Amino acid sequence: MSEDRADKLHPVVQLAPNHKVGLALRNPAMPAAGCFGLGTEYAHMVDVETLGAIVVGPVTAKPRRGANPPRTVPVPGGVLLHTGLANPGVATVVRRYARRWARSPVPVIVHVAGTSPDEAAACCQRLSGVEAVSGIELGLPDTASGSAGSTDVDLLDDAVAVIQAARADTSQPLIVQLPLDSAPALCEAAVEAGADALTVAAPPRGTAWYASAGRFVTGRLYGPFILPLALRVLRQVAELVRVPLVGCGGIHNVEDATAFLQAGATAVQVSGGLWHDPACLARIARSLPPPAASQ
Amino acid sequence: MLQTDVLVKDVSESSPFVRVTFSAPHLARTLVAGRFVLADLGDYLRTPLFPAWSDVGGFDTLVPPDHPAADLRSGDSVNLIGPLGQGFEVPTTARRLLLVASTARLPVLLPLARQRNQGFGKNPGFSVALLLSAPTAAELYPIRLLPPALEVHVATTDGSAGHPGSALDLFPNLVRWADCICIAPLHSKDPATYPAIAEIVREVRVGPGRGFAQALVVPPMACGVGACQGCAVPVARGTKLACTDGPVFDLLELQ
Repeated sequence: MSEDRADKLHPVVQLAPNHKVGLALRNPAMPAAGCFGLGTEYAHMVDVETLGAIVVGPVTAKPRRGANPPRTVPVPGGVLLHTGLANPGVATVVRRYARRWARSPVPVIVHVAGTSPDEAAACCQRLSGVEAVSGIELGLPDTASGSAGSTDVDLLDDAVAVIQAARADTSQPLIVQLPLDSAPALCEAAVEAGADALTVAAPPRGTAWYASAGRFVTGRLYGPFILPLALRVLRQVAELVRVPLVGCGGIHNVEDATAFLQAGATAVQVSGGLWHDPACLARIARSLPPPAASQ
Repeated sequence: MLQTDVLVKDVSESSPFVRVTFSAPHLARTLVAGRFVLADLGDYLRTPLFPAWSDVGGFDTLVPPDHPAADLRSGDSVNLIGPLGQGFEVPTTARRLLLVASTARLPVLLPLARQRNQGFGKNPGFSVALLLSAPTAAELYPIRLLPPALEVHVATTDGSAGHPGSALDLFPNLVRWADCICIAPLHSKDPATYPAIAEIVREVRVGPGRGFAQALVVPPMACGVGACQGCAVPVARGTKLACTDGPVFDLLELQ
């Protein structure tokens, strides 16, 4: 798609207005991290040229085998997924995919699993010089490192440490993906620690009984029922910070995406909806009203 | 792979299954035994459908009466993603093919049972045997509906037809005979019998080559293309994904 044609379809969306390079998108719609693989999996089914960007990953500093099966449990109206961040590690990912990303018609944003400051720093260092990577999306730990006895203060401290570590080691625009249940509490500190934009929010966690394996599985939840939860949190965050917000959670059609834009999001990410109906992503991208007009 | 709306051409009873015929010429050549499509049948997770038969016009799938596809009607439109995955690969040199399945999973293997006179089925002296299990004779797939040239060995749990007890009792002799084995789960809900089957293969055959025994594993799948990493299957060195690396795996590689 030529720039002229794209710009006629939608005004440019800017996700990092205060960054020296910025992160300009031709469209507010993109896939969510963890749902689009590393950028090649949906090559034959999703018209990437219609999108604002692709979000690939998550990646970690070292290879991770991921969680033992079962990883996928159907739940009423959706699905619970526990992958354990399976990925070949940031170095291998860059080696295998950077050339392909360089040919992408839209910006590539790499999602870094910020499970600790060291993890975030190691990933960002490796990605920092990669021209094909237009931005970093940083996932945060959604439980504090002290686990059972931890407080909200611990969670805040951990999140800030991870963001600061990433910020110190990346030259690219930094989008911080906030956990759903602590997004309002973390958003201001995230911006202060260096976030150029915020994704609201990471899929919430739940637990399901997997009968045929005879055990509980705890993982992230996907489905339309997430939308009202995420929309509520996004409106709260929009009242607290003045950086671009990326709405994410339960988006399955253009009405869902438009609701996030109306609530204050600059852009939107489609997560589980992509698995259910891969065509919905391009359909949403083609149908979204220009962000300026929707607010 | 593609995401397409296809037409249901026909739905008919084919006891103990319901036969659903899809008009999908674009899938005819590529939807081979063990490969699948993910169908949007109303649930959030798409439903995997395996071909029991395919020709230039499309494919048939056989599903139990309580399967969501059994509610389809002729003329319905269904959104499919596929073809997906890696199917059974019978070596071109194979002459003695053994199929192993419960009645519930037999439809996945039916395209191989009908392979005679096509592909590897053209080999001189080629023969196919089927080891079929069911809880009772009443729940067995009707033998008269199987290709006449197929050699069928039956086991029922209650002994009402064929060998009384486990199909695994008949397995060692058939493994000695076969030069390729394709297995769908003997129990319909999970491949819990695979370790026992693998053990028999190791005992009976000396150094069976890669692909000698191939087994179907179908965990719940979210995306079908490897993007979500949700359908991991434990193998000898880590995990593989059922949707892209499988759902047909080397039996001896499975953990």
